[in-house]
Amino acid sequence: MKKLVVLFVVLSFAILFNACGKKAAKVAPVREPVVEKVEEPVTQVEKPVLSEEEIFQQKTIEELNKDQILKKINFDFDRYQIREDMKPILQDNANWMLKFAGVNVLIEGHCDERGTIEYNIALGEKRAEAAKNYLASLGVKAANIKIVSYGKSKPLVQGVDEATYFQNRRAEFVITKK
Amino acid sequence: MKIKPTQQSWIRALDSKFKICSKKLTNFKICYKALMILAALALFASALLSGQEEITIRIKEGMPMIPVALPEFQFAETSLPNNEIKNMIYETLWKDLEFSRVFKLVPREHYSYISRFDPGAINFKDWASIQANILISGQLETTADERIIFSIKVYEVNSARFVFGRNFGGKKDLSRMIAHRVADEMMKHFGEKPLFTSKIVYISETDAGQEVYIMDYDGFRPTRITFNNYIDMLPSWSADNEKIIYTAYRRLNPDLYMFDIYSGKTEMLSAGGVNYAADWSPNAEQIVYTSSKDGNTEIYLRDMKTGQEKRLTFNPAIDTSPCWSPNGREIAFTSQRNGTPQIYVMDAEGSNIRRITTEGSYHDSSAWSPDGMRIAYVSRIEGRFDIYVYNLKSNSIIKLTENAGRNENPSWSPDARHLVFSSNRSGRYQLYLMDYDGRNVRQITSAGENKMPKWQKLYK
Repeated sequence: MKKLVVLFVVLSFAILFNACGKKAAKVAPVREPVVEKVEEPVTQVEKPVLSEEEIFQQKTIEELNKDQILKKINFDFDRYQIREDMKPILQDNANWMLKFAGVNVLIEGHCDERGTIEYNIALGEKRAEAAKNYLASLGVKAANIKIVSYGKSKPLVQGVDEATYFQNRRAEFVITKK
Repeated sequence: MKIKPTQQSWIRALDSKFKICSKKLTNFKICYKALMILAALALFASALLSGQEEITIRIKEGMPMIPVALPEFQFAETSLPNNEIKNMIYETLWKDLEFSRVFKLVPREHYSYISRFDPGAINFKDWASIQANILISGQLETTADERIIFSIKVYEVNSARFVFGRNFGGKKDLSRMIAHRVADEMMKHFGEKPLFTSKIVYISETDAGQEVYIMDYDGFRPTRITFNNYIDMLPSWSADNEKIIYTAYRRLNPDLYMFDIYSGKTEMLSAGGVNYAADWSPNAEQIVYTSSKDGNTEIYLRDMKTGQEKRLTFNPAIDTSPCWSPNGREIAFTSQRNGTPQIYVMDAEGSNIRRITTEGSYHDSSAWSPDGMRIAYVSRIEGRFDIYVYNLKSNSIIKLTENAGRNENPSWSPDARHLVFSSNRSGRYQLYLMDYDGRNVRQITSAGENKMPKWQKLYK
């Protein structure tokens, strides 16, 4: 009896399976080929973090100037007084110059185009001088700073809007000796 | 454009190879002046009689322009017929006389109303009928060795009189110069300062950088003077017109250099700080210039023989752009001592400072007219840069440029009737001429960018 039951179950399974198989054959499933992903973990290379000292040692004067180690500052229209928001930049520049006390810097004063040639040379000179005096007040040796004015003859960017003019009204700090 | 540094050669050529044979034949000048004074008096009398209209008589500018007829030039019998040169001299002379504000030309189309001009038998009644007062008869002779002789005969039409004549000889490439010399002779004969052979020094920015150039007053024959590839700026003439002082950033610093256009020698004048805007004194002995050599931009007087310097301004503000009065007693300059840049005048020793500009907040670049009557300057009003003229006699100010870009660096012609200035009205900065009253604006440069013009002064 037990054998009969087993046989029946097996048979019914077989019929069922068969029927299913037929149905499956009608809608032939496409089996995706199994692709094994091959991955290699990315090795993290530690970037060398150079100290200020190392940068100073390794880079040439040209590279230091190109990297703008000393940041430029901007001025208000027609004025040569140091803006409040430019004082932290001058503080950073002063700190760097105090750290590398042998450095000589040329401060270039520039103007936007909305002035006469003659007056702008004087104004650029005043801007460079104001920057020099501010650095000196922070302890930088005045003897290490020279100034020059280019007036409006060397604009940084071309344009006729206030954003352009603002960028051009500037003092740049050029390292001349380290 | 690259010119080899033989800059001075043509100037020398001008002096040595340019032979001028001239004879003054009558003294029409005095006659004419008397006539003009009579005319002015008559005008004044009529104004008094009518009593209605307000007539302003300005003896100089109010002078009516002299009507001149300039019939086509003839070739001499022995001459090769070179029409190119003939036309060049004719057109150059025509433009000079037209520019003068002393002469006015009878329109060429009127010449066709009368019988053809015959230099051998001039029909003065014909020329009088088309309102010519002065008739210029010109004759050109070109020779096989590339030389020319140009002769003029000047007649007074109403009296049918010969007034004066001149012959000019030179190489044919100096044809323009010969025409300018004729125009100068006309000016001199009528009691005016010659200006047509005067030159303008300026800065031209081409691929080679910003260099010093000189050219004829009308923009022709530009010649490069400096070849240093640094930024050169603000050139000016010496009193004898033989040297040019300019500022160059040769040693990373703006210093004054003096260039001798005859010897080609350059001398550095300054030491330290910014140094610029030099102006030579009328007596040829000193210059005034701006320097920050003592730590602040101030005006200095330098003796050109001894090199001794005297500081003229003393205050912590910006003082700049000094300029001599033509009598050498005063100096106009720009100062920011009251907060904004204004024009001031001081005595040549630095004392007796008085302010000239009272309105506006930005003035600079003053230029004292050679007749001493006016100071031209640049004002910035609401972002616009225009040229203004302050009249020292009437104490009035007129605006000469309007709605045409940025206008800068005015400089007077030797006869004080015209100004040269730079403007970016057509895009890049170019040089323009205009009359003392703002009329007859004419562009004289077009290549690259041209600025900072200074017209020669004729102090002699």
